[in-house]
Amino acid sequence: MTSQQNPLGRIYILPQAIKSVARHAALQSYGVISLAPANIFEAVGQLLRKNNSYGINVSADGEGLYLDINLVIEYGLRIKTVTDSVAEAVKYNVEKTMGIPVIRVNVYVRGLRISNPD
Amino acid sequence: MNGKSIAILSEAERHRLVQSPLDGEGLKLMFEAGFIWLTTNQQYVNSLNVFPVPDGDTGTNMVLTMQAALAEAESKGTKNVGEMAHTFAQGALMGARGNSGVILSQIWRGFSRALDHYDHMDSALFVRALQEARSTAYKGVVRPVEGTILTVIKDMTAAVENTAGSDTKLSDLLVTIVKAGDESVKRTPELLPILKQAGVVDSGGTGLFYIFEGMLRLLQGQPLDVSNAVVKPLSELELANTLETVEEGQDYEVVIDFTPRPQFSLESYYNGLSDIGTSIQVGEGDGIYRMHIHVPLDKRYEPIAYTEDLGIVKKIAMENLQDQMNSKKEESAKIKFAPVAPGQVAVVAVSPGEGLTRIFASLGAAAVVSGGQTMNPSVKEIVAAFENLPTDKVIILPNNKNIILAAQNAAKVSVKQIAVIPTRNAPQGFAAMLRLLPEGSLEENEESMKEAISEVHTGEITTATRDVTIDDVHVEKDSVIALLDGKLIISTHSIDDALSQLLTAAQVENFERITLFYGEDMTLPYVNQLADKINEKYPEHEVEVHDGGQPYYQLIVAIE
Repeated sequence: MTSQQNPLGRIYILPQAIKSVARHAALQSYGVISLAPANIFEAVGQLLRKNNSYGINVSADGEGLYLDINLVIEYGLRIKTVTDSVAEAVKYNVEKTMGIPVIRVNVYVRGLRISNPD
Repeated sequence: MNGKSIAILSEAERHRLVQSPLDGEGLKLMFEAGFIWLTTNQQYVNSLNVFPVPDGDTGTNMVLTMQAALAEAESKGTKNVGEMAHTFAQGALMGARGNSGVILSQIWRGFSRALDHYDHMDSALFVRALQEARSTAYKGVVRPVEGTILTVIKDMTAAVENTAGSDTKLSDLLVTIVKAGDESVKRTPELLPILKQAGVVDSGGTGLFYIFEGMLRLLQGQPLDVSNAVVKPLSELELANTLETVEEGQDYEVVIDFTPRPQFSLESYYNGLSDIGTSIQVGEGDGIYRMHIHVPLDKRYEPIAYTEDLGIVKKIAMENLQDQMNSKKEESAKIKFAPVAPGQVAVVAVSPGEGLTRIFASLGAAAVVSGGQTMNPSVKEIVAAFENLPTDKVIILPNNKNIILAAQNAAKVSVKQIAVIPTRNAPQGFAAMLRLLPEGSLEENEESMKEAISEVHTGEITTATRDVTIDDVHVEKDSVIALLDGKLIISTHSIDDALSQLLTAAQVENFERITLFYGEDMTLPYVNQLADKINEKYPEHEVEVHDGGQPYYQLIVAIE
């Protein structure tokens, strides 16, 4: 994954760590109800193992990180504005905690939760 | 929508609004009042932003959201509160801008749901609407962060939910809500550490507070288009930061200290100032007021004339902001280091002065450590300069004999592959830089750079700090001395003479180029004179002059 150097050796940052930061940032964003499995494998994995690593995909190259975020959003909000804030919040928090530039954040809205139909 | 009309609501209209339950028109007036009051205080709300993301300008975003909501309400023109609130909420949803705008739209969405099918709204219904607004707002987020707009709507609702009945006057209800909102906003730094660090209250919460305070001011007949003239203590005026918020067309900054005359009214003073310029701040200390304002070029004397009418002016400071901004921009654009790709060879140079740093950067140095004769950088500082470069191959140019050892130690503690080229001064560093091949191997670069430094001769001209005799040269304190390749060769009384003797001693006729890097206490015209003399004496040579900016050494001379 991504690695950096310090005087004593290399530091490796694994996708899991980046995912947890991104996940936290996404869930703190207004309008985000939960993350959503990106595909059938994640959906099955989520059912079987109850782990919470679904919904976020991370890749990296020499330039920095690329993130995909799959979300369920509250119905009745302006989706564009919510997704814009999620992308900003994820980029900001990942860059701040990891010190690695985030090149792209793709946000996929996988569903809406309807708590109050109008 | 003619927002300002609301500020001059007739007494009869206002009376009707206060006395009876609100109908659709009345509710719209309330929303409009909230909007205008928020707009009046927009810049203040903007100034509270602490995050670079996700909410650019909270005040502006909330104003735009309210504006979209009102425009929608305007277009429908409904008589009952239920429909009115519904269209208003719909407009807010569609026009929601930024995070705070989205939350605000949720608040109005909940608010309107409680009013569904009602013709009129009394205090009890207002409270129910607030409760619905609160719960809807909280539904939008799984991990609510407290100390935000959410906390403020919660606290405002809690303050009235068990006390108000149908017979409570709406204006009394709003007094309680606004008071609770104010206290809630002031508590936000206790709940959200980042606010406390930045020394501000939450911007979204403050925006929401202004909306409700605007409603109250409407009912109380207070003006909505005049900003709350809060006088801060002088120490809290944030004049240093206002440069960042200079708007287009605001060319001058005017700061005036004055003592107001007895009939001075702060509110009308603010009012007058807001016709002249922006970024208005007024502070007070020991009876002296300080006013700060940004104004366009043609109005730059108006604040002075205006203030002279209202008080005795003590001091005036005026600054050309555009000019200041330009020089700020230039400064930041000054030094640009070479980008490094993984696997390439990067050079880290130690530089004693800004001018020299700029030259190193232009020659392709990836980073510079400041340091020189009396300010040797530590091993740690050197390591820090290259550890974060995205490559494993690094060359260090110490550029001073006292720093070579630190550079070698830095090489030892790093796991990167490091080569130290023992450059003893800046010209040797430059000669080495010219040989840099970023794509080559570390060994190739090292070899060719070491060769390069033996081909350049360096003269240094400085002032003696004490009496001494070295290498048969007797030096008196404060005389001008010249060193050639680190060896003291001349002691004399003028820079001119030192330079001329230095060039003779260096057998300059065997070389082609002479470069003068002048130090921080030299002036360019004087150095140009020196260069002209060299030109006269050695017409075959190329002579260059650069601003080196180094301390202590009046001149560093490279002879190639």
